[in-house]
This record gives sequence, structure tokens and C-alpha cells, in this order.
Amino acid sequence: MDPDWHDDEKLIEALRDALASADEVPSAFVEAGKAAFAWRTIDAELAALTYDSAQDPIDALAIRSESAILRSLTFASDGWTVELELTPTAVLGQLDPPEVGTVTARGDGGKLAEAEIDELGFFVLGPPPNIPYRLVCTTQSGTTILTGWVTP
Amino acid sequence: MRDDPTVVDLVTRARDGDKGAWDELVERYAPLVYSVCRRCRLAQPDIDDVGQSVWLRLVEHLPGLREPAALPGWIATTTQRECFRLIRASSRVEPVDFVQAPDVPEQAIAEEEVLRHERKTVLRTAFAELSRRCQVLLALLMQDPPAPYDEISRRLQVPVGSIGPNRARCLTRLRQTPALARLAADGPDDRTRG
Repeated sequence: MDPDWHDDEKLIEALRDALASADEVPSAFVEAGKAAFAWRTIDAELAALTYDSAQDPIDALAIRSESAILRSLTFASDGWTVELELTPTAVLGQLDPPEVGTVTARGDGGKLAEAEIDELGFFVLGPPPNIPYRLVCTTQSGTTILTGWVTP
Repeated sequence: MRDDPTVVDLVTRARDGDKGAWDELVERYAPLVYSVCRRCRLAQPDIDDVGQSVWLRLVEHLPGLREPAALPGWIATTTQRECFRLIRASSRVEPVDFVQAPDVPEQAIAEEEVLRHERKTVLRTAFAELSRRCQVLLALLMQDPPAPYDEISRRLQVPVGSIGPNRARCLTRLRQTPALARLAADGPDDRTRG
């Protein structure tokens, strides 16, 4: 036991701190962690978010003025990159290095949309899910790549 | 605390597909993930992102986790890496001092956060083991500012003069709870053990 805790004041202080820090964790944060268990059976390479135009003020402006693309995102794992462009009607994507396969958008509740990946690595997934989802790309050679969350 | 048999049991059960055990692990370690994120000064949406990555990696990592007792350290280190990755990817958050400090090994920071988390967990467990009366009294005294003695006297129906001695008794009981007594039995050198 911490020697400080023999002192009544210090023990009360430590206790207050301990109880307060449990309260500060939002319940939604804990619930999201619990939901992650649903992904247990997917044996995939995780591709993490490395770029999001929504977080880049200059790009966000450029994209808005230019086209129907609402947002562009990049996810990368050690060997793979998944580039996404979100448009009002579809999610346009490219897997790099290119390989034929299938791509599925999944939420916590299961499959939301599915599409083929062509030999150039392109895919068009639509209509875009309107709830948070992740993409699972399964290539012909048997690799599965799971992106981080996309929140529309 | 590191060799807490509960953690070993929870990990084993979660690995075998027990959702309830997983939920308990998340509840137990969410404050640790959260506090590491806060130390990296991330905003809420980023904390959520990091949380997702950490839990997913843990789900993946469960079957390969040879020593469940090392779990808290693994969680803290993984969270910290994810925070750094996010900071690097977005460059939106100014790096904070400890992020830049090259002389502080990553492991040491995570270790410190784990110890802090364990101390808090022990205190919360100990508090939960107290009688309802002690819990109410201590909660009133822990308010900021502390509740006035006459209010405590009214709510607990004890004379004002006995609040001080009651407080001391409750704190003594807190020190004697199994949770805290176990720490005392482990001795002060417990923290330096790997």
C-alpha cells in the first residue's frame, strides 16, 4: 500500500481522484469497446486511417468547390492501401496494390453493402451506408483487409 | 494486482468466445485507455477512434496473449502508440511535452499509467467493499467543497461530534479491506516487478 495512504487526508484525496476518473469515461466509449467483440471472428489485416480530408482545412475547401466528392480518406496497413472517395451516391474506392476480390461495408450489426473489386483495384459501393461502417476487402489470393471506421 | 486471477480468468473466457468476460475486461480497462488518451490531449472523436483501434487489436491479440497478467501494460502501450499514430497522421494536435521527450522510454510512460490505473482500481474496489454508511459519509466528505458537518449529521443521523471519529473509522476500514490489504501484503517492492 502506498505509504501516503496512512495519512487520512491523502487517502481521501486519492479516493476522490479514483472515483472521479471512473466517472469521466463516457458510457458510449465503454459500449463501443464492448461492441468490438463482434469483430472477433474476422481474421484481417487492420488498415488504419492515415488521411482524412475532413481534417484538412485546405483540402476540404478544394474538394467542396470542385466536385461531387464529399470527402476522401486513406487507410493503410503494412502492405495495403485503401483510398476512398465518398460521394452522395456511392463510395468509390481503390485497393493498392490492385487485386481482384470483394469488398463489404459492415457496421456493428452486420453487412450493409457489398461490391466487386476489379483487376485495377477499383470498386464502387452504393448506396453509401448512412451509419458508421468499416470496409472488409477480401482478395482473390486470400488476404482480408479491414479498414478503420468511416462515419458518414 | 498484476497476477490478479480475475484478469487471467477473464482473458481465458473471452478468448473462448465469452462475451460477458469481454465486457468485463472492457469495463475494467476503459478508464486506462481513456486516461492515456487524455494524457495525449486528444479530443473526444479522436479518443473514440483510438479506443476502437485498441479494442480491435485486443480482440485480435487475445488468442496470442501468452501472459494475461501482462494485459494492462499491453493495453497502455498499444493505446499510446495509437495516440501517437493519430497525432502524426493529422498533425492537428500539438505534441505535448512527454510525447517529445526522447529520453523517456515509451515503456516507462505506459508503465506509469498502468500503475496509476491499478491504484485507482484498488481504491474503487476497496470503497465498494465498505458499508453503505461509510460510503455515504466519505462521499459527503469528498464533495468539493465538503458537505458541512451539520448536513452530514442530519443525513446520517449522527451527532456532529462523532463525524470526525466515524470518518477515521471508515478510513481505517478502507485500509483493512481485502483489496487494500492485498496491496500491503505484496509489499512496496511490488511495483518494480515486471
